[in-house]
Amino acid sequence: MTDVDERWGAPPANGPTTSNLADILERVLDKGIVIAGDIKIDLLDIELLTIRLRLFVSSVETARKAGIDWWETDPALSSKAAQNELREENRRLRERVDALESGDDDSPADRSKDKDTAGAAT
Amino acid sequence: MTTEWPGTPETATATYVFAVCRQLDPAALTGLAGLADGFPVRGLRFGALTAVVQHVPAAGFTEDAWQQRLSDREELEHCARAHHDVVTAAAACGPTAPLALATLYRGDERARQALEADADRFAAVLARVEGHAEWGVKVYLPATAPGPAATAPPGPHRSGGGAGGGAGRAYLERKRGLHRAREQHHDRALRTAEDIDTALSRLATATRRLRPHGPELTGEKHRLQILNATYLVSSVRVRRLLEAVAGLRHRTGADVEVSGPWVPYSFVGEV
Repeated sequence: MTDVDERWGAPPANGPTTSNLADILERVLDKGIVIAGDIKIDLLDIELLTIRLRLFVSSVETARKAGIDWWETDPALSSKAAQNELREENRRLRERVDALESGDDDSPADRSKDKDTAGAAT
Repeated sequence: MTTEWPGTPETATATYVFAVCRQLDPAALTGLAGLADGFPVRGLRFGALTAVVQHVPAAGFTEDAWQQRLSDREELEHCARAHHDVVTAAAACGPTAPLALATLYRGDERARQALEADADRFAAVLARVEGHAEWGVKVYLPATAPGPAATAPPGPHRSGGGAGGGAGRAYLERKRGLHRAREQHHDRALRTAEDIDTALSRLATATRRLRPHGPELTGEKHRLQILNATYLVSSVRVRRLLEAVAGLRHRTGADVEVSGPWVPYSFVGEV
């Protein structure tokens, strides 16, 4: 029992106060018991990710890259993202090819139509 | 009644609730600023339990005011730390269940009424966390994958390239090698993270995985956070946890950082 008392007595005060902001935010904002208050703050609106994003944007100036899902699409963080990058590029290329091919399909049709109308005209 | 502050009509204040505990030593709260200057942080009895509360000016704590406050980095930090300081001070007196940031009621009576309705849940939470603390563990590995030269196997050489095609193929193989090295590095990192989590989970009463912080947040480019976990650990097992961390650090070569003890924020919500 003395062991318990001792640990509860001193350390909780020092660990957290020296901890960095991200550690505190991810506990204070994201966790704790939620009971409906009279003034209700929608915690989903201030979801930790949003906060992180804001911290990130304010600390780093590359706001352009700050998509909300940056942690998923950064190839350094996820090999899936690297694959997705390729897949995405492939998809875009395939779309272009499709567009071009369907364009080719259209043009002969147009041409024949033109020919028909031309034939009709003569 | 809130007539202790002359000139402040009752409707002008709201009651902010920080945490719930069994008993509270008022001395533990002296000197804490809380979220509003000039209003003391104090205990509010309800049933067998005590809430840690503070009056705050109602006008400054509307939903709009909060949204604005939490969008400002400095204000956000101030609020989070103020909330955290009060919760931590209360926890020095015994098991404590922190409430979510920005839990506000129209007055003490309303707060008491709402808290009493949840008394069973609070009792269960306090019983669960008694004698326990939360310990955060973050694991980092070097951010860069080892060079691809060692890992790239010689690709199957099919004919038909010629001298011109050889340069192209070499380029592609180099790219592929880089990609493979990155994947292997990633797999290794994930395995290390799982091994460490498994080992530490054995010592914990409960565990939670938090989303790892990206390099943008940590501000570190040379290492990558591969595990951000938190453990509810009985005080009698803390020494073993710290020893296990030292052992894992040695065995895996990863940077393993421990933070704690924390008031068990991550382990009170689900009871």
